[in-house]
Amino acid sequence: MNDSKNPLSPHLQIYRWQISSLLSITHRITGILNLLGLIFISAWISSAGIGENLFEYFSVFLKSFIGKFILIGFTWSISYHLLSGIRHFFWDLGYGYEIKTVNISGVIVIISSLLLTVFLWLIGRGLI
Amino acid sequence: MKASRKWIMQRASALIVAPLIVWFLLSLITLSTGDYNSVINFFSKPLFLILTIILLITGFFHAKIGLSEIVEDYIQNEKIKNAVNLLGLLLSIIIPSITIILLLYKF
Repeated sequence: MNDSKNPLSPHLQIYRWQISSLLSITHRITGILNLLGLIFISAWISSAGIGENLFEYFSVFLKSFIGKFILIGFTWSISYHLLSGIRHFFWDLGYGYEIKTVNISGVIVIISSLLLTVFLWLIGRGLI
Repeated sequence: MKASRKWIMQRASALIVAPLIVWFLLSLITLSTGDYNSVINFFSKPLFLILTIILLITGFFHAKIGLSEIVEDYIQNEKIKNAVNLLGLLLSIIIPSITIILLLYKF
């Protein structure tokens, strides 16, 4: 079909990197990571449904160093996407379009995504 | 799906997924230290079972819309675009379906 007439956007390789574009692409990357996480969760649940033997593989993996690392990474990915999503909601409602506000809210999203990750792990592990 | 409808559905599903994924993630972090029985106990609670099913359906739905948005922006070739979108649609239906069937069969 009309491949050549179909505009592509945004041109990642052309624009200068700024916090706004970095956060935008990170929202999309974390979206894809979250999908992978969702697929993993489905596999984990399915294994529990199928039987203990299969579930044990997941259990051993989740308790391993790499497993924990991935679960922490997934927690951050979810945290970031969720907080960035809230930022998008404000834009949808018509707020926060000034350049200064965009930059500030961007930094808030980055910092609070890290804090939320730590917070969720402290609660999840019963430490608070 | 119409673009405006997609736009609304993406946000509506986000509102449902957001609290559910936080709850499930917390549970997963806790359960990942436990054994098989703790997971069985978790899904044996009707409320948790229902919430998990809602999360799976809405989560994959949300992901499907998001994925097609990304595909729309970065893939120019119509054939590849349609193939990726079809694959995404099938996966977002098949994966949660199998998981939910197994859940309902077991619990």
